[in-house]
Amino acid sequence: MKNNLKVERAKKNMTQEELAKQIGVSRQTINAMELGKYYPSTLLALKIARLFGARVDEIFWLEEGE
Amino acid sequence: MFYTNKEKYMDLRFLLPNKYKQIGLVLFIPSLILGILFMLSIETSIKVPVFAFWYEEIFRPTVLMGIINENIYNELLAILIIISLGLIAFSKEKNEDEYISRIRLESLQWAVIINYVLLIAAIIFIYGSPFYSMLIYNMFTVLLLFVIRFNFVLYKSRRQMDNEK
Repeated sequence: MKNNLKVERAKKNMTQEELAKQIGVSRQTINAMELGKYYPSTLLALKIARLFGARVDEIFWLEEGE
Repeated sequence: MFYTNKEKYMDLRFLLPNKYKQIGLVLFIPSLILGILFMLSIETSIKVPVFAFWYEEIFRPTVLMGIINENIYNELLAILIIISLGLIAFSKEKNEDEYISRIRLESLQWAVIINYVLLIAAIIFIYGSPFYSMLIYNMFTVLLLFVIRFNFVLYKSRRQMDNEK
């Protein structure tokens, strides 16, 4: 799975810390997601999408063969 | 305690509030010192009557479900070590969320597996009364391995974070 998190975050001029606080997770979680080390739960993905005003599959999408 | 909607969905299982981690740490340090002293045969005697399910000792009559007079120092020490490690292990992190829960689960799995690997190694390579000592340490190593592994992974991910922004 790939993600657009860093780009979306930059669009809104947010630091990882700010995003983390808004979503209600730790900064490590945001960092791990951006690095592709952690796949968020559905709840978390929906919250992120809502915050960025985008669709979930515009931020997270499947790769070839997944 | 008020539970928000957020907490209903997060994978909290049975975790204690964060402050118990400090309490556990405060209890663990003296118990570790006393434990090391005990290994060097330094102990005090606390002989009291206790209720035992099962007491068996050579040259002594076996007691089942009865009261015996025993030195409970090592029992108290073992319980102290286990409880203090348990408090450290099963207290929430300050920012406990789904990612940290996953690290917690993986660390727990790692600790159990490594513990059995060490146990098998002890079974194969150590014999006689030192093996008995290994079994005693084995009482504590699962929790200890978990605490070390969990906190190490968290520390590594925190450090890596400072390279990003």
